[in-house]
Amino acid sequence: MRPVFQVTTDRDSAAWWERTGRGEFAVQRCEACGRARFPARTFCAACQAERWHWEAAEPEGTVESWIVNHQAFGTGDGEPYVVVMVRPAAVPDCLLHGGWLAAREPVGGERVRGVFTPGAGGLTLVDWEPAGE
Amino acid sequence: MAKRLLDFRDRTAVAGVGYTPFTKNSGVSTLTLACRAVMAALDDAGLGPGDVDGLATHRVGDSAPPTLVGPALGIRDLSWHLDQFGGGSVSHAVVGQAALAVAAGVAETVVCYRAINARSEFRMGGTGRGLPASPEVQYQAPYGFFAPPQQYAMYARAHMLKYGTTAEHFGRLAVTQRANAVKNPRALMRAPITLDDYLASRWIAEPFRLLDCCLETDGACALVVTTAERARDLRRPPVLVSAAAWGGGESHLSGGPADPATTAAAALAPRLYGQAGLGPRDVDVAQIYDCFTYSVIVQLEDYGFCPKGEGGPYVASGATALDGELPVNTHGGFLSEGYVHGMNHVAEAVSQLRGDAGDRQVPGAEVALSTAQPGYVLPATSALILRRD
Repeated sequence: MRPVFQVTTDRDSAAWWERTGRGEFAVQRCEACGRARFPARTFCAACQAERWHWEAAEPEGTVESWIVNHQAFGTGDGEPYVVVMVRPAAVPDCLLHGGWLAAREPVGGERVRGVFTPGAGGLTLVDWEPAGE
Repeated sequence: MAKRLLDFRDRTAVAGVGYTPFTKNSGVSTLTLACRAVMAALDDAGLGPGDVDGLATHRVGDSAPPTLVGPALGIRDLSWHLDQFGGGSVSHAVVGQAALAVAAGVAETVVCYRAINARSEFRMGGTGRGLPASPEVQYQAPYGFFAPPQQYAMYARAHMLKYGTTAEHFGRLAVTQRANAVKNPRALMRAPITLDDYLASRWIAEPFRLLDCCLETDGACALVVTTAERARDLRRPPVLVSAAAWGGGESHLSGGPADPATTAAAALAPRLYGQAGLGPRDVDVAQIYDCFTYSVIVQLEDYGFCPKGEGGPYVASGATALDGELPVNTHGGFLSEGYVHGMNHVAEAVSQLRGDAGDRQVPGAEVALSTAQPGYVLPATSALILRRD
């Protein structure tokens, strides 16, 4: 089982976590240049504008990498679990981490779909499963 | 953008190095470790605390700052000090910043140190401490993903997928570095290992096994940085600071590079070599940040020692062994000597250039590269080029 790491959300991210709690996978869209960004923050890295809005996106992406954790870090029990690194289709120049929900290991580059999962501290997490299965 | 630093190359020097023993339990405070290493480095240089007007360290809330170490050693007036936040990514930045301060005349004799009880008190593996309040951590830690071996294993697999790097490549690096540690009396791990030993070591976070991971060590290491002129009058042969460079890092924020198989060293390297007026082919020996096997392989590529993607085969060819074309981590590195967060890499580079590295000496070494954590996890990196006077 994955260990429970309690984290604190912040003033940039709170609205994002609120949306995952409603089963929504949202990205920010810059109102000046139209670029999507993640994780949540105020400034657009491309044009430095502060104007933006939330936009619901499909929780889809491709597998960039993954690990199979064996070490009992923190509250972990040493039972292996997989963490996947996903390149989200909605914001392809960022990388997201999440749990892996299939019995088999991921495959590099495979298409995956986000699944909303209850996590520690009342957060709703986004885990991933193979898109076509 | 600064294109060059006026009159910086070779103006400053490392005049002394000092260590405490590397252990699994020092039994003393980090303040004690820091003071012992500082005194040892000063003694090596033929100086005393009365000669010191600058102190510099880096830490992540785990060690004694200059404002404590100074008074503890009776150094009353520090004209320059630096307490840099950060781990291995800023180890070399600390030495570089000390060299800049000396070159600028703000201080004349700076001791840089790193003191940690990283095994007995404050382990980097994530136990015994809270999570940092980083905006990225909250998107990772809830998934059971936080500890450095997990982070690096993720990048290592991305490199394996993209370039065909294999477990055997990682293993050859671990075996080669252990062979160096066998020749290093200071090293914690001095029993030789084979590729089979590597492959049989237990999983930590696949694709990493135990022998992909560096040690967690109690210990301290210190360096005396002063002007080249002054260093020439001191006890030891000076080792000149030819170049110091800083760089960004891999970020998961959109707008960044988002290429997990290339590090910020690729952008830093041209600045570093340009400052020194040298290239990778001029480097005789390299101490490359090895928190994990993979971090060496990717940096060999990004510092230009082999084409991108060929770091694994380069290591497997024997090129990085003590008798290879580029001896790497001649002290055994963090994997086998001990983990003092970067400072022991710089100290080993100094030792090689002074010619006092004993059984592991690279004959005729004149130019050394020493590098920091290449910009994963904490998105910053730094590196130095040192050379014999």
